[in-house]
Amino acid sequence: MQPTRCLLKRSVWKGPHIVPLPIVRPEPGQKVAPIRTQARSATILPNFVGLKFQVHNGKVYHDVTITEEMVGHKLGEFSPTRKTFVWGRK
Amino acid sequence: MVFIFGVNFNEHKLVKKALESFYALGPQKSVRILAKYCIHPRAKVGTLAPKTVTALTAELSTMTIEGDARRIVQENIQRLRDMGTYRGRRHAMGLPVRGQRTRNQTESAKRLNRVDRRG
Repeated sequence: MQPTRCLLKRSVWKGPHIVPLPIVRPEPGQKVAPIRTQARSATILPNFVGLKFQVHNGKVYHDVTITEEMVGHKLGEFSPTRKTFVWGRK
Repeated sequence: MVFIFGVNFNEHKLVKKALESFYALGPQKSVRILAKYCIHPRAKVGTLAPKTVTALTAELSTMTIEGDARRIVQENIQRLRDMGTYRGRRHAMGLPVRGQRTRNQTESAKRLNRVDRRG
């Protein structure tokens, strides 16, 4: 049988692409500022769930709140880099 | 005319091709089904015994084909869309999803890439 796409995309011995991010666990009642990052290729790990990120798209930082189903995707997938061309838009 | 899984097939149609006409059944799975029920790879639908036809229908009803398989694909696309990923956006726009060019030759993407994917 074919292995699933999930296994084929990256060799197992490498593991997920982990980028050291300044993750602060919020204590109850405290607000933590979103994590501002340019690491678009960082894999979303299970311990990111519930955190807020600001992911760079080359120009601005997009707010991304990590949910459970986003685990395994990359941060950059949630911050679009292209603008559709529309006539007459300045 | 022979009924297999609620679809009417011409007697001169190959059994393999008749099976492949169902969504989610390709060359590999149809060959496996033929082998399981001892049908010759080039047998025509008209030559099948009535018992084999009912056995084939029973086999097909246990597999995830047609509507069920389509729903799985649609759910996967809808999940990407709800998360707000780039891939989900490209599906909604009807454009290529995996970085292909969009200047020319995007006919397949225009036809297939949509949130409620049919094909």
